[in-house]
Amino acid sequence: MTNQTKSQFIAVASITSELSAVMVVAKEISLAAANAKAIAFRAGDKAKGFQPITDFINELAKETIELVTNINIYALVLYRLTVDEFQKTAAYNKFELATKMAGDATYAKSMQEPVNQAKLSMQDCQRQFKRDVSQLLGQLEAVMHHARAARVIAANSRIEASQAGEYLQSLQAVAESVDKAAHTIHDNVQRCRIALSIYRNS
Amino acid sequence: MKMTKIYEGSHQWIMFGRDEGKPNNIIDTNQYVVRTPNRCLLLDPGGAELFAPMMAAVLHHAPVDQITDLFASHQDPDVISSLGLWDQALTNAKLHAPAIWEGFLRHYSCESIEYVPIPDNGGTIKLESVELQLIPAHYLHSSGNFHVYDPQAKILMTGDVGAAIEGPDTPVFVDNFAAHVEKMRFWHQRWMPSNQAKRVWIERVRNLDIDILAPQHGRMFKGDDVKRFLDWFDALQVGIAV
Repeated sequence: MTNQTKSQFIAVASITSELSAVMVVAKEISLAAANAKAIAFRAGDKAKGFQPITDFINELAKETIELVTNINIYALVLYRLTVDEFQKTAAYNKFELATKMAGDATYAKSMQEPVNQAKLSMQDCQRQFKRDVSQLLGQLEAVMHHARAARVIAANSRIEASQAGEYLQSLQAVAESVDKAAHTIHDNVQRCRIALSIYRNS
Repeated sequence: MKMTKIYEGSHQWIMFGRDEGKPNNIIDTNQYVVRTPNRCLLLDPGGAELFAPMMAAVLHHAPVDQITDLFASHQDPDVISSLGLWDQALTNAKLHAPAIWEGFLRHYSCESIEYVPIPDNGGTIKLESVELQLIPAHYLHSSGNFHVYDPQAKILMTGDVGAAIEGPDTPVFVDNFAAHVEKMRFWHQRWMPSNQAKRVWIERVRNLDIDILAPQHGRMFKGDDVKRFLDWFDALQVGIAV
């Protein structure tokens, strides 16, 4: 197995690992949103501006979970494609070696067709992999977008929390937790994108 | 890869082995080819490491599109881990292998090759005018195991039975049976698990007319050495590791 193939396997496998952490954090945001909603309800008019924000946070968390679920399915497809490409490349290399070793054997030329077919299959896999990586990067960008939106919401939450009197600390804690979660999501997804981006144009 | 024609008649048997390019840390294997005018059967085609030299050697005898049949005596990697590569090279081929190993062998990848499961009581492979018999050899050593008998060529291909581990320059036929015995003893005692299975197999193959007994490792036996081997094996206690 070449170093590039190894890196490709690791890159694809790391997506699932990074995204499982994102999923945990997105669920935490969802919990924070439910918590915030309860606090805002108790705070009544003092946290009037905070109430619609909790719905946004919840919606964002749900969408992130949905996106990550889809990306995980996609990552599995990408993993299978990586295995397929590895097998096709190994076959192509072995076929070429067999042809070389056959030298002037009576039927050496009959190997040309399998060599050509193996090359085409290998190239198909490589093209498909690049296409799928591009699509996956697009989906990861959507998650990044959600993370950025979560940070804006966290900033707004802080402003609204400052007007919530005795509920200030509780609501600020919610804002902090959303902000922290958004950071984590952003960083994890960014790592996935860096790991994959080299394969988009390789 | 050394090639030795061991039968020439209406069809041919060719033995392949003693691959000089083989990595030292993998076991040496014998592969056999049965060649008819338009078809070619590979018996125990070998491990993935051996695919390229084996294919290159076969191309001296048959074009790729006439490699129509593969046979795996059992599931071991040195027997058939090259399956995934043959699967991509051959467009119209069948794999004859024990029925009970089908789900296992498919792990090597078997998509374009048709898996023809051999039932426990054996069967035949028809290769143009040649009919080869699939002789049950279960528990010798694998729980689903077959040998191939060609009544016309009088050759019995015996998988791991009759095997010996020797150096790369070893002759292809046993030339001194008494001296060869010690090279086979531990192999058979350790790898073959059942005295009962051994006895049943010996009774079965004593009824066959055999000129050459062709194992998957080491040297082949011919003439009187075939009977000598069967007598020696009959007297040997196997399954010693328990």
